[in-house]
Amino acid sequence: MRRSEGYSLLNRFSHIYIEQKALSYPVTDRILKRFPRSVKVVVQHYKDVFNRTHQDFRRQKDSPKLILAVKQEPFLYQGPEICEDFGNKNFYYASCVLNCLYDCDYCYLQGLYASANIVIFVNIEDFFEDVQKRIEYENLYLCISYDTDLLALEGVVPYASKWIEFAGGKQNFNIELRTRSANYGAVKRFTPAEQVVLAWSLSPNEVARRYEKLAPPLETRLKAAKTAVEDGWKVRLCFEPILKIQNWQEIYSAFLKNVFEIIPADRIFDANIGLFRMNREQFKRISRFRTDTDVFAYSMVCSGEGIMSYAEGERMKDFMHRQLIRYLPGEKIYS
Amino acid sequence: MIYVVTALPWEARPVIERYNLKRDDNCKFFPMFKGSNMCLIVSGIGKMASAIAAAYLLSGGNAGQDAAIVNIGVCGAVKQQYPIGTPVLIHKITDHETGRDYYSDILLEHPFAEGSVETHNQIVRREYIDSGQSRVCTDFVDMEASGFFQAASRFLSPHQIYVIKIIGDYLEVEEYDKNKITGLIARAMDDIHGFLEHVERYCRHDEPVFSDAEQQQLEDIKKRLRLTVTQGHQLAKLAAKYKLRTGKPLPDFSDIIVDEVKVKAEGRKAFEEIRRILAAE
Ligand code: SF4
Repeated sequence: MRRSEGYSLLNRFSHIYIEQKALSYPVTDRILKRFPRSVKVVVQHYKDVFNRTHQDFRRQKDSPKLILAVKQEPFLYQGPEICEDFGNKNFYYASCVLNCLYDCDYCYLQGLYASANIVIFVNIEDFFEDVQKRIEYENLYLCISYDTDLLALEGVVPYASKWIEFAGGKQNFNIELRTRSANYGAVKRFTPAEQVVLAWSLSPNEVARRYEKLAPPLETRLKAAKTAVEDGWKVRLCFEPILKIQNWQEIYSAFLKNVFEIIPADRIFDANIGLFRMNREQFKRISRFRTDTDVFAYSMVCSGEGIMSYAEGERMKDFMHRQLIRYLPGEKIYS
Repeated sequence: MIYVVTALPWEARPVIERYNLKRDDNCKFFPMFKGSNMCLIVSGIGKMASAIAAAYLLSGGNAGQDAAIVNIGVCGAVKQQYPIGTPVLIHKITDHETGRDYYSDILLEHPFAEGSVETHNQIVRREYIDSGQSRVCTDFVDMEASGFFQAASRFLSPHQIYVIKIIGDYLEVEEYDKNKITGLIARAMDDIHGFLEHVERYCRHDEPVFSDAEQQQLEDIKKRLRLTVTQGHQLAKLAAKYKLRTGKPLPDFSDIIVDEVKVKAEGRKAFEEIRRILAAE
C-alpha cells in the first residue's frame, strides 16, 4: 500500500485477471503462487479488461494489475522500420508480455495500448514452437523484450531465462534481450550463448532520474552490463532515446565518457544511437495527456514515413556519432 | 463531485442522512438529492432504470475527470461466505442477459470485501439455482449493476465508477423489509464514507498547466487578435509546450497586443510574433 495525499494506493498486482483458457497453464500457476494475496478475477477474454474504453493509463500506472492470457497466432511480428535491425536479416519481435514495470515519460506504449496493466501470455511454449518451425528453413533475428522490459519482470515471470535456455545451441537463431533493468543476476547462472545478445538501454543520469521512473539508476545498469561482459556475454549498448535536454551536448559527452570508464569498450559486441522518435499517431495521442513532462513539448518534424522526431535530429545524431566513435570502431556503431 | 445511484428510497436514506443531502425539486424525472459535493438519484429497480439515472447524472457535461459515480444498494449472496450486512466492492459485473462483463479499476485501498455480481432482470431465488433453472457464476446477484456500469462507462474512466453492494440476503427472502435494508446500509456508511473521501481526492484534477491569470491572458489574446478557432487551439498548444519546456510563466505580450485589431491581417501578424516567441526557447 502506498500513501499519497489523502488516499492509499493498492500495491501493484493487487488484482490478477485470468483468462478462463489460461487457468490450466503452469505459468499461471506459478504466478498465482508468487502473488498469493492478490485478488483473482476470471475473465472470458483478456481484451475485455485490457481494451476497455476510457481507461486512464496514468492512473493505472499508480497501481498496475496483471492480466494472464493465452496468445493466439501470430506469435512473431516483423520488426518495424523505426527499430534498428543491427544488420540482421529476418528481424522479428515477439510480444509475450505487453507493457512494462517501469514508467518512462517517453515510452511509446502509453500511446499504443489503452491500458497500463501488464498482460502476460502464459503459453510461451507456443512462441517457441513457432520459432522452431521457422528456423528450420530460414534465419531468424528475434527481439524478445519488445513492448516490455522482460528482464525487469523476471521476478514475476522468468521468460528471459526461458528464452535464453531455448535459444542456446540453436542454429539460424539469434535473440536480443533488451533491458533498462539491473537484473542481470536473474540470468547470470546461464553459460553465455552465442545466440544471445544482452542489450542495455543507457541514458545519462540527468535523463534516467527525470524521465525513467522506476527504472534503476545508470550506475547499477552499468554495473550489471559490466558483469555480463566479464562473464563472456555478447553485450550491446543502446544509447536511445537521445533526448533534447538543456546542455544535451555536454551531458551526453560526459555520459559516454562515464560509460566507457566502467565498461571495456573493446569487449562490447556493438552499440546503437537512436534519437527520441515516435509514430505520429502515438505521439499525438500521448502529448494530449502528458502535460506533466516536457518530452513532448519540443519542436518536432514528421518524416514521410509518419515518424516524429526532433527538427535538428540529424545534427544531434552526428554529434552523438562523433562522440561514440572515440570509444568504438565505426563498424560496431549502428545509427 | 461524487454521484450516487440507488435503486430504492430506503437504500438512499442512509446516504441522504449521512451527507445531509437536500431534495432538488427542479429535477422532474427522478427523486434527486444534492449536497455540497454529492448528487444522488433514486433510479427505481432494474438495470435499465439504473442506466438511465447514471446517464442523466453524467451527461450534463459537468462530470469530468474529477467526478466519480457509485451504485449503492443491497444484493443477494450466492454463498454464505460473508454475514448479512457485509459491504462488498464489486470488481466484476456480469450481465446475465447479454453475458457481457464489466470491470472497475480498483486502484485504491478500501475496507470492503471484494466480489463479482451478476445482474438479472428478475429476482433470483435460491430454489431457481438449486433446481438448475438459473445458473449463476458470480458471488452475488443484483438487478442494477450492469446497466449502471455500462451507462457510466460512456462518460467516465473505470477508476471513477464503483459498485458497492451490501449483502441483504442469501436469496431466500420472500418479502423485503425496508427498515432492515436501510439499517444494513446505515451500518456500512462509515466504510462507504471513508472510501468515497479517498475516491474524491484521487479523482481530483491534476494541476492545470495554466494559472487562472494565464488562462485569462490567453482568452484576452484570442479576443483582441480576433483569432480563428484553429488559431486559438494553436495558441493554447504552443503556450502549454512553452511552459512545459521552460518551466516559466507565460511571457508578457502586452507590447505586441496593444488594442483590439481592426483587420484580421493585423491579428495574424501579431499572432506570428507570439508564435515566434513561444517557440524560441
Ligand atoms: S523500459 Fe522501455 S518499455 Fe519500459 S517504460 Fe521504459 S521505455 Fe517503456
